Amino acid sequence: MTHVFPLLAVRGLHKAYRQHQLTVPVLHGVDLDVYNGDFLCILGASGSGKSTLLHLMGTLDQPDQGSVLLDGERIDNAPGPRRDKLRNATFGFIFQFYHLLPELTALENVLVPPMIEASILGWFWQGSAYRKRATELLERVGLGHRLHHKPRELSGGEMQRVAIARALMGQPRVLFADEPTGNLDEEKGEEIVGLLRDLNRRDALTMIMVTHNRDLVAPTDRVVRLVKGRVEGASTPPAEQPTVLEMPRRMAL
Amino acid sequence: MYKLLLCWRYLRTRYLAMVCIVSVMLGVATLIVVNAVMGGFSTKLRERLHGLLSDVVLEAYTYDGFGNYEGKIELIRHDPFLADKIIAMAPTLESFAMIQFGYNGNPFYQRAQLIGIELESRSAIGGFAEHIVLRKGKPQFILDEVATQRVAAQKKQPLEIPLAVPPFPGQKIDAPEGIELPKVDSLKPIPTPPPSQNQEFVPEFCILGHAMAFRRVELPDKPAKDICLIQPGDDVVLTTITGGRLSPVFGRFTVCDYFKSDMSEYDSNYVYVPLSYLQKLRSMEGRVTSIQIRLKDERNKQPVVDRLKYLFGDSLQVMTWEDKQGPLLAAISIEKGILNVLLFLIIAVAGFGILAIFSMIVVEKTRDIGILKALGASNSGVLQIFLGYGLLLGLVGALFGSGLGLLITAYVNEIEATLSWATGLEVFPRKIYYFDRIPTDIQTYQVVLINVGAIGIAVLFSVLPALRAALLHPVRALRYE
Repeated sequence: MTHVFPLLAVRGLHKAYRQHQLTVPVLHGVDLDVYNGDFLCILGASGSGKSTLLHLMGTLDQPDQGSVLLDGERIDNAPGPRRDKLRNATFGFIFQFYHLLPELTALENVLVPPMIEASILGWFWQGSAYRKRATELLERVGLGHRLHHKPRELSGGEMQRVAIARALMGQPRVLFADEPTGNLDEEKGEEIVGLLRDLNRRDALTMIMVTHNRDLVAPTDRVVRLVKGRVEGASTPPAEQPTVLEMPRRMAL
Repeated sequence: MYKLLLCWRYLRTRYLAMVCIVSVMLGVATLIVVNAVMGGFSTKLRERLHGLLSDVVLEAYTYDGFGNYEGKIELIRHDPFLADKIIAMAPTLESFAMIQFGYNGNPFYQRAQLIGIELESRSAIGGFAEHIVLRKGKPQFILDEVATQRVAAQKKQPLEIPLAVPPFPGQKIDAPEGIELPKVDSLKPIPTPPPSQNQEFVPEFCILGHAMAFRRVELPDKPAKDICLIQPGDDVVLTTITGGRLSPVFGRFTVCDYFKSDMSEYDSNYVYVPLSYLQKLRSMEGRVTSIQIRLKDERNKQPVVDRLKYLFGDSLQVMTWEDKQGPLLAAISIEKGILNVLLFLIIAVAGFGILAIFSMIVVEKTRDIGILKALGASNSGVLQIFLGYGLLLGLVGALFGSGLGLLITAYVNEIEATLSWATGLEVFPRKIYYFDRIPTDIQTYQVVLINVGAIGIAVLFSVLPALRAALLHPVRALRYE
């Protein structure tokens, strides 16, 4: 199901975190192509840089070196408003800790992306349409009966479903899932992944899932293994080798 | 849109925010109450001060006064520029004096300001007739019926301890034949001369400052009581000086009424007597010390003052009532200004509270800020959330503060009474102040200014935490536990 032209292309991505005067390299030269309709699993142990890669692809963070391209357009160094807009409408995010806003109900949480986008006037104009769509999405993830509950009144699985509905609200082209099952038991986790697969299959939604759990990977998925900041088997030489001194510190973190 | 929703939710769910609101509220309420009370005092005081003083005074430099006052009044009246600007003019002869009277056989001495007036013209100036106690609005230099009867009864049956002050040597009254006038002795009760049988002595009348006639006596365990020292019909002796030669003269006056302006300075000093008699007593026939002038438009004094200065040059001084009370008015306005600065510091303190609490809320909301940014919220959007939050806190605080302040102002006297009753202390000692009730004066522009200031401070102090929130890195914020 691959296309010639990648939807998202990652080229020679380097990223290091600076803590005081110490530089902690995380990614050293990652190349990756994501095609429309992919279900891409990024596997790796903790500390392998898989979350960082996801953040860089989702424009939440900026690389030290290398580029991220969406439909051939560089987005990693795009101006702030452009990247805000991308996160709002083109990308959807699901996190391990759900990251719902505790003051808002399930429905309101799902409505946050269009609220961010719309002006007050626009909201009065289109609010009811958004509300309808948010309700439909919550019904689709099986939470039609939980619309007006606050996150603290929901279970972990339910919260993750709300997060999925929120991610879908902006009709994204790519859905990033960062350890979506990390905080759930096996059964709930499988339900969530099943939901994501369903979205991928039925809506041809491109899915990039980061996980350390091999059991979640299906035979049809594209799998990329990330080891110590490099894609396993990739031949790109790292631009910057971690020093012997720095490595243990990195692992300790 | 999310900004509004989140501001509102944060406001409703954060108890810390309530602390901010309460501190802003208290600051605003304090400022409003203090301004209202101080404004009340100053307005009332100005009113009183102005009430007793005419708009413009044409005054001699010395107690000798100036002659031909009728001519001067005519001159002003027929001046083409002044004629339509002046309502009334009153010639006045002022002098310091010593007042003596007896009570329970004890002599009292006191300094007094002796003012000779024509009742009609002085009443037209204002600030006089309405402060007269017995014949309010219609002052007259004669005894009323009650006093006349009392005096008549006294004459028939003198009191055992006489109240009246004896005549002094040199005074033009005819003592009855065969009765020796007593010597003045301040240490002993002075017997009054028996009433004249054959020739009725007709004294001059005077209107006495209320505080001179009444003394407040405070006894332990008893409420304070006003004792009347001089009743209408009683006599007082006023000693003053003649014009020019400065030799002492005195006259005996019968008190016929009181003057009560509630300005203790005036009530405890002023004695009004008929102008013509005072002129005679002081050998100053045809002379007065000042001409008081009432204008049609009080606010438009300056042209009148300039014209009067042109007419009379340096021979007389022309003063407005504010000139006469300048230092007091300036003191009040300076006091008010300083107090306002100090009280605004209270709101500034509330501002630091907002700063601290906001910083805490930003830390607490770090993860939420990360989420919002991950969902596409811009830096300025996050900034606006927290600025809007500050604005909302300020707004709600100012609103409640204004309500509280206006409520306290409206019931300030009741609150004072309750406080006095509860603590047993007199919060507002009426003896010291000029007023029975705490006066208040709420100026709309002041309330608006205080509100704007408070809201401004709330927003100003939320800028720093809001900036911190806006510049949070989304990934670091999301990782924050």
